[in-house]
Amino acid sequence: MILRTLSAALALVAAAPAVLAQEVKTPLYTVVDGNKVDAKTLNGFRSWRQANCAACHGANQEGLAGPSLVERMKVLSKDDFVKVVIDGRIERGMPPHKDAPVVTKNIDDIYAYLKGRSDGAIKTARVTGIE
Amino acid sequence: MVASANADLESKMANPKNWAAQAGDMFNQRYSKLNQINASNVGKLQVAWTFSTGVLRGHEGSPLVVDGMMYLHSPFPNKVFAINLDTQKIVWKHEPKQDPAVIPQMCCDTVNRGLAYAEGKIFLQQADSMLVAMDAKTGKVLWSTKNGDPKLGAVNSNAPHVFKDKVITGISGGEWGVRGYIAAYDINTGKQVWKGYSVGPDAEMLIDPNKTTTWIDGKVQPVGKDSSLKTWQGDQWKIGGGTTWGWYSYDKATNSVYYGTGNPSTWNPAQRPGDNKWSMSIWSRDVDTGKVNWVYQMTPFDEWDFDGINEMILADIDVKGKPTKALVHFDRNGFAYTLDRVTGALLVAEKYDPKVNWATHVDMKTGRPQVVSKYSTAQNGPDVNTKGICPAALGSKDQQPASFDPNTKLFYVPTNHVCMDYEPFKVEYVAGQPYVGATLSMFPAPGSHGGMGNYITWDAGKGKIVQSKPEKFSVWSGSLNTAGGISCYGTLEGFFKCVDAKDITKELYKFRTPSGIIGNVFTYEHKGKQYMGVFSGIGGWAGIGMAAGLEKDTDGLGAVGGYKELGQYTDLGGSLTVFALPN
Repeated sequence: MILRTLSAALALVAAAPAVLAQEVKTPLYTVVDGNKVDAKTLNGFRSWRQANCAACHGANQEGLAGPSLVERMKVLSKDDFVKVVIDGRIERGMPPHKDAPVVTKNIDDIYAYLKGRSDGAIKTARVTGIE
Repeated sequence: MVASANADLESKMANPKNWAAQAGDMFNQRYSKLNQINASNVGKLQVAWTFSTGVLRGHEGSPLVVDGMMYLHSPFPNKVFAINLDTQKIVWKHEPKQDPAVIPQMCCDTVNRGLAYAEGKIFLQQADSMLVAMDAKTGKVLWSTKNGDPKLGAVNSNAPHVFKDKVITGISGGEWGVRGYIAAYDINTGKQVWKGYSVGPDAEMLIDPNKTTTWIDGKVQPVGKDSSLKTWQGDQWKIGGGTTWGWYSYDKATNSVYYGTGNPSTWNPAQRPGDNKWSMSIWSRDVDTGKVNWVYQMTPFDEWDFDGINEMILADIDVKGKPTKALVHFDRNGFAYTLDRVTGALLVAEKYDPKVNWATHVDMKTGRPQVVSKYSTAQNGPDVNTKGICPAALGSKDQQPASFDPNTKLFYVPTNHVCMDYEPFKVEYVAGQPYVGATLSMFPAPGSHGGMGNYITWDAGKGKIVQSKPEKFSVWSGSLNTAGGISCYGTLEGFFKCVDAKDITKELYKFRTPSGIIGNVFTYEHKGKQYMGVFSGIGGWAGIGMAAGLEKDTDGLGAVGGYKELGQYTDLGGSLTVFALPN
């Protein structure tokens, strides 16, 4: 069994190393066997699916009508991510999600899930819970 | 009621020099009497002229030609050009101002299937649901009316259709929980004359429980009270789909408009137990009142997104040896239906792709498909990936219209040869948000020629494939037959092809246009010369990955998995290519 845990701190190292010390306690996501995830990340997957993000970004997040999230999540900061998702980029076809409760309520979990996919820690788009 | 109100359009259609409606006529036959280009000389075709719309994304439908003027449309932002065929100058150009917020509300690319013409007016059905009438000579907007609420996902991609003194239009948004309807507007004022919903209370569907009929127990019988409401749980019908974005036809003799309704919302069947009537149905409505003459549901309780919106082709043919006023429909579900268009009686329902596996057959007594449990996404349940369903959600045929040749009495059908895996999941309805609830992946039909399409001829009287010509990709272009004995269509790689109508395996001509073709072939005559044309411009569902900037192949909502190779053949770009014989 491969257990891989990534902390929020690790994710933030590049962007803001100064906050490392205080962030180290909260793991962003936990993955077992590449496709079993913690409850929050599982919720992120379900929310992502329900919001129909796959229609534009592909069921595997590798891009379709919209860009590859595997790639984009490497570049976007958490704040950038939230802004794009909530406000949208209408001119490029990205709808705003400020009126989509499944997104607004679960955006942190969606972020964790997509970050796990982008990092390569979550091996398949379709995940289940850790038993 | 003015019986002569469509005399103008009828006379324009009767002259084969024009291409005055999207299908060329009101029967949706897509047949031209022009014969200058024929089976013996079509091989000499040359490009006569080309025109760029300046818009990327999928170009469906075709231009119209009326009395020496050509009218072209584009996908969003729905530009319209009027071109004088003598000078090839743009006489007028119209670009509506639409809120770009409508772009993400359009499922499967920002396509538009074209314009309608009647009595000196051009009708445009914009993406944002505005229906607009323009002066055909000047482009001046004469009236405009709002047909739906795009904030709720009620947008438009269909072409408006003029029958009598009305312009008929539908609505899209089955993936947003839009409750479908069809509406008729006065061509002179834009005032709504009637509106009939696809699901819900009888009065709102314009169904008379005693007079409206359907196919029950081997015969045509009244539908009875609450025929739709009884087949939905609770209020689910209010967000029940049944949208109407296809091609409509009209028969003067029955004074009826014929069309189909799309999938029930959501794609997760577990959330909407029941037959979900009258989604997935063929309709006949009185064109003056909208009242429903008859209705027939092809796919009760859809579990696969087999929208029933494909065109209804009206033709007088022999059905099982008997001369019949028939309606022929090639459904997304892989069955081709022949009905008596006067009575609504079900006459033939057979597979037009031998790979169709989700149902064994259609029971002719009940009219219901016999679903195979293995491929039932409802029986397998949410969060289970049902594998190997044929056809895929985009159907054995999607909206790309087929043609009918009165000489061979055969139908010429552009088809998809694609299967899918389908995993439904629970989804919550939020107004104006996607309401899909399934993840799909699509791939070429296994155990076949490896391609994703076939061009076929179909005997609708017998329910049999006559010939089948394999294609590498889905044939997503509307076909055209002519009195010259040819049948022509486009391919996703971008080829414009003409085959022998008597033997479609004989390819007589092909030419590589600038982009993949999802537009419909049309023809016209100008100054004694016959021309044939087609839009190219890849996009639509088959090309959506390409249409909006695909980076890597994936299975996404489904459309790209099987089409990943397309990128080796074509790229975006909307243009018209017009062909003629050399002087």
